[in-house]
Amino acid sequence: MNEITSAIQIIPLEHYILLSIIMFSIGVLGVLFRRNTIVILMCIELMFNSVNLLLTAFAAYHSDLTGQVFVFFIMIVAAAEVAVGLSILVMMKRNVDSVDINQLNRLKW
Amino acid sequence: MSALIITVVLGIVVLYLGFLNKKAILSPVAVAGLLVVLWFTSGEWNSGAAYFHDMVVFDNFSVAFNISMIILTILIFLFGMDYYRTMEFHVSEHYALMIFALTGAFLMTSFSNFIMLFLGIEILSIPLYILAGGKKYSYRSNEASFKYFMLGSFATTIFLFGIALIYGTTASFYLPEIEQYVAGCNGELHPMLMIGLLFVLIGVAFKIAAAPFHFWSPDVYEGAPTLVTVFMSTVAKTAGIAAFYRLLGMGLLPLPVPLERALWVMTGLTLLVGNMGALRQTSFKRLLAYSSIAHSGFIMLAMLSQHDNSASTLLYYTFVYSLAVIPVFIIFILVKRASNGLEQLSAFNGLFREKPWIAAAFVILMASLAGIPPTSGFLAKFQVFVLSIGQGYLFISLFAIVMAIVGVYYYFMVIREAYTESEFAKPIVLNQLNAALILICTLGVLILGIFYRAIII
Repeated sequence: MNEITSAIQIIPLEHYILLSIIMFSIGVLGVLFRRNTIVILMCIELMFNSVNLLLTAFAAYHSDLTGQVFVFFIMIVAAAEVAVGLSILVMMKRNVDSVDINQLNRLKW
Repeated sequence: MSALIITVVLGIVVLYLGFLNKKAILSPVAVAGLLVVLWFTSGEWNSGAAYFHDMVVFDNFSVAFNISMIILTILIFLFGMDYYRTMEFHVSEHYALMIFALTGAFLMTSFSNFIMLFLGIEILSIPLYILAGGKKYSYRSNEASFKYFMLGSFATTIFLFGIALIYGTTASFYLPEIEQYVAGCNGELHPMLMIGLLFVLIGVAFKIAAAPFHFWSPDVYEGAPTLVTVFMSTVAKTAGIAAFYRLLGMGLLPLPVPLERALWVMTGLTLLVGNMGALRQTSFKRLLAYSSIAHSGFIMLAMLSQHDNSASTLLYYTFVYSLAVIPVFIIFILVKRASNGLEQLSAFNGLFREKPWIAAAFVILMASLAGIPPTSGFLAKFQVFVLSIGQGYLFISLFAIVMAIVGVYYYFMVIREAYTESEFAKPIVLNQLNAALILICTLGVLILGIFYRAIII
């Protein structure tokens, strides 16, 4: 445990923060601009993982285990969420035979 | 604690009843189980019991909100008895998912640690994503479900990012420790902490559909099955509001200035968007979605003006609002059935001619939503204004009063439809259970309004 912590601490904290901000932003941009719903799901997953990375780095730097425990919770919840999301997607695909986000236009204003 | 466990077990029992094809006893079993949960929950009053290493604290605030949510769920399940009677598909899952969502709502009212807040929000949301898509072959239901899922998980990631940033500065998820850290800063907050707090607030504001994070709400309310819409606009909303208030009250009092400004702007926008958006609606469910956004605005006004009375005002407001919304949707379902599935406002035409008593109850309920005395909706709004003016938020209170007057217009637009003659004959079928529910809720709205001093104080 201590070896891993010290290995994480070789790289300065700012780099971890920057990396996860970049990952998070890529995810946000993907959700906003991609048209394929499966890619959007992947981008949301990317955002979850950037949070996990950030929490792990902070936990190592604070020498505090709760942050790493929280990462497990996030991973489990993200898996449950993606399972639900994919099943909704399958349901949609069966009804309109497409996974394009532009299909979602029946409800507006 | 036992209430939490019993709720989860009840959900599983209801699922198994579905496997055994016992459709007729589903709703009675669920209601009986919830009454047991209610009994155990009220036993925790004044105990202040803490569980899971102080991650969950059942103080009086959370017990009061839990009791109100259990009562609302029981009312919804009683309505469900009639609503699901004609449905062919698997009903047990719907009940079970609502019970699981209620478990998440319990966690949201009683967390004292960000881990539990996150889990509570997710346990509440994931069943709701599924429930919103309850009509498998209806495209609108699919669309509502997918929109809710996508925007919901997007908001969750923003919320989580906020938690990570807060953890980075304070090295804790435990709210009292974060409060100590914030108090030790003497108003000079680290930018990372500030951004983190803002992100967390955005995540929770999404759940109560506060503008500018409200865009999912009209679409989802319209597309979802009506019973699920009722559940979302009552129980899920109450849970979100309790979580929002608890977050502000446990971690961040007095609010740092930038956060207070953000909340101020959000309150004003929510009031504006909710009331102005509702004016141009022709679909009834969509109109109630915007009305629900508007009510979020009034509730946020009470949260903004922090005072000892804030919590009781919030409880009163949310309970009274939910108590009026449930029978309104029951009446909506009745007229929708009578007019071949029409969801426009004109579906209400001929209600007075057909069932004058129901129309009278409808007027009282709508008046309560609009905030007209002597209904309890008026008192709820009145208390909010007393709080906010007392705390010096004069400008936004005046704005809220103007918006409340705007609100009267669209509620009475619906009442006018109910008193207009219908072009064709509409036999409205009303069974005894639904009639009793409408009666109980309407009386509740009136009694809570007239004798509120005896109840509140």
